[in-house]
Amino acid sequence: MKRLVSLAIVGALALSACATGDGEGPLVVYSGRSEELIQPLIESFTRSSGIEVEVRYAGSTDLAATLLQEGDATDADVFFAQDPASLGSVSDLMAELDASLLDLVDPKFADRDGRWVGTSGRVRTFVYNTATPIALPQTIDEVTDSRWGGQVGVAPTNGSFLAFVSAMILERGEAATLEWLEALAANDPIDYPKNSPIVAAADAGEVGGGLVNHYYLLRLRAEGEGSNSENWFIPAGDVGSLVMPAGAGIIAGSDMAEAAQEFIEFLLSDEAQTYFATETYEFPMTAGIDPAVGLPSLSEINAPDIDLSQLADVLDDATRLVTEAGLV
Amino acid sequence: MTAGPATAQVETPGSSTKMQRSSRGWWIATAIILIPALVPPVSLAWQVITKGTGTTVPFGRLVELFVNTLTLSAAVTLTSLAIGTATAWLTSRTAIPGRRVWMIIAAMPLVVPSYMAALTIIGATGPAGLISTWLGIEIPTPYGFVGAWTALSVFLAPMAHLIVSPALRLIDPATEEAAVGLGASKRRVFMTITLPQLRPALVSAGLMIGLYTVSDFGAVSLLRFDTFTRAIFTLYEGQIDRRPAAALSLILMVVALAILFVERRTRTRADYQLGTTKRRRDLIRLRNSTRYLSVGFLSIYSLFSLVIPITVLAFWLFRGLGAGADLGTFWDEALRSVGVSLGAAVLAAAASLPVAMVTTWRRNRASPIVESSVWGVYALPHITVGVAVITFALIWLRPMYQTLALLILAYVAMFMAQSVSTVQDSLRRSSPDLEEASRSLGKSALTTLRRVTVPITMPGLLAGAALVSLSVMKELPATLLLRPNGFETLAIRIWSATGEGFYTRASVASLVLLAVSIVPLLALTYRDLSD
Repeated sequence: MKRLVSLAIVGALALSACATGDGEGPLVVYSGRSEELIQPLIESFTRSSGIEVEVRYAGSTDLAATLLQEGDATDADVFFAQDPASLGSVSDLMAELDASLLDLVDPKFADRDGRWVGTSGRVRTFVYNTATPIALPQTIDEVTDSRWGGQVGVAPTNGSFLAFVSAMILERGEAATLEWLEALAANDPIDYPKNSPIVAAADAGEVGGGLVNHYYLLRLRAEGEGSNSENWFIPAGDVGSLVMPAGAGIIAGSDMAEAAQEFIEFLLSDEAQTYFATETYEFPMTAGIDPAVGLPSLSEINAPDIDLSQLADVLDDATRLVTEAGLV
Repeated sequence: MTAGPATAQVETPGSSTKMQRSSRGWWIATAIILIPALVPPVSLAWQVITKGTGTTVPFGRLVELFVNTLTLSAAVTLTSLAIGTATAWLTSRTAIPGRRVWMIIAAMPLVVPSYMAALTIIGATGPAGLISTWLGIEIPTPYGFVGAWTALSVFLAPMAHLIVSPALRLIDPATEEAAVGLGASKRRVFMTITLPQLRPALVSAGLMIGLYTVSDFGAVSLLRFDTFTRAIFTLYEGQIDRRPAAALSLILMVVALAILFVERRTRTRADYQLGTTKRRRDLIRLRNSTRYLSVGFLSIYSLFSLVIPITVLAFWLFRGLGAGADLGTFWDEALRSVGVSLGAAVLAAAASLPVAMVTTWRRNRASPIVESSVWGVYALPHITVGVAVITFALIWLRPMYQTLALLILAYVAMFMAQSVSTVQDSLRRSSPDLEEASRSLGKSALTTLRRVTVPITMPGLLAGAALVSLSVMKELPATLLLRPNGFETLAIRIWSATGEGFYTRASVASLVLLAVSIVPLLALTYRDLSD
């Protein structure tokens, strides 16, 4: 028995040791984008540039809060986040990007002060079951119309929903946003923890439709499902079709600034942009690369005109309003 | 009165001084071990005191969260105890066909993480769920209280099974045989003799289940039942400002301590039978009808707890393979999951020996504080523990920040309660007299530890280590926050894949997690099986 225990201790220590994997001065990327999507790109970057990359994957807000806590002591060189709100909340910690990077992307999809740049576009959409007899919403306000009562899936605690609410605060102000949220809450929405189950539910006919990001349906199709639903880009030019770029910035004071710049250049290269279009089904940010088959081009979507750099300022208000409206 | 002080009171004055002297070492060790457990609450309190609470949660919501959390915890505890005691009794006392196989099967659901349990419930039910597609019977997805209650009860019942089974084995058969000899029915014997003797085990298991429920996020989030932990996660995930979540976590700790207080009141009335028995007992032969009923019950239980989840996972796997989806990587992740869980389990078991010692045989007025800190951390949402440890490490332990050592220490702090509880049970079944005897025969403290204390507590140490390793393998939120860069485990792989809707990859990682979790489970049931 004793031998068994000591064997277990030695085994555990050995396993732990070999699992750490130390390296000298790799480029440290804090990625709020998941490993599932990003790791192949990272590997390709290392192959072509010879720069070793160490990635810390977690939620975008978690990483933003962690960066704020770490302050100057952080090991991170690049922050690669899923949404502009997370990026904006740490923009004080980021260095201004080189103009050569910013020029590649529509200034709408980059920070006002050039501290982060959009790398791929994610669009809010209304996913719906194609058999549903209910008329599709022409504006975001029609989603709270009684004809959609008890038929709309939402993920009120999810980051992209909160970013959407933040955008609405910027567009309409707090009071009107609270009103919209209350109208939504009064319309018996079905709440889900995140986007993908909403899309699955819409496809299964459990709900008539739902407020999600556009790419979940395309991923569901890659799993062999998703033939009973479609994306509907609400055409009114309101936050119903908000474009939320995922983006990246360089941490100020990084001792790997050059490698970091090279990394962001890579994210905006044709290779990475094509990868985003065909593998993660997001909208490419640079000119000349087409989105995945079945998607309109970004310019065909009637997106609202919102200063994404300000999203971070109202993100915490969004959480508060969502709670106040009784959605969580 | 627990067994410890009761026996201590009959000591002669001379040996009592010796007892005090030998207590000192255990208490010093405990003080050191408690440091990691105290980091999260102290760090939280410090944050709230120095930085305030930020936007506060409305009082009405607080009350609602309080009621929801307590109701769910109580309902899950009672249901799990009922199921677990039934499976334990059937598999260790009766001669049902395939008894030993059932003994393992009844323990297996514990390896299913609650988020996977919830995910498979959602996948199986509803208009497009597997049950409806294959059998044509539509079962609505049980969202809300019913869903969370079912998922947690079914998948936590093995905790009761695993703690009650050895307790059943250790009860001296003499009393029961005497009762049967006097003409008492099986039911009467169970209710009046067996059950009261099981009480300590039931209380331990109940506490472990109840507080795990308080800390659970996976089931309540996917099945949508609003508890403290869900609210805390929502605040952490949705806001950059971490103060409101810290404040809410502190309130949750108070709730946990209230539950602990109730447990202690129950415990003081408990009656321990000292000494164990090596006598073999005859297995109870059930009447045919009862036997069929029992096997039917076990079959239905394993249908819900194992067959359905595995079927859903396998379905996702084959559906994805058919569509040409990528399986992703999992070997390195499996190795890391096994490595950290083994490391944390061994450390936690070792650490729980002193803690269990000063809360049983060497109990004094400070013991409740020790127990409160251990169980308080256990009940905290894991994301809170993660954030608190980060805050602390950034200021005080910068060199350890984002290292494996810190992650493992956090695991030990979070899950030590499980091994403390099983070691306490081992100690309560025995008496400090043996230690005393060894010392008075001139043996050194170390020899006594090696030859007397460790062997006495070995069943508890092993059971505790196995429980901790299973909990660590399933753990997600703290792992995400505290791990070294690039340190991906199976749980992280599952989270990351389901978050993006890659069900094929999630199902592969989940099936691998189930497979590797069977190893600690076999260690846990080994003793019962050899019986």
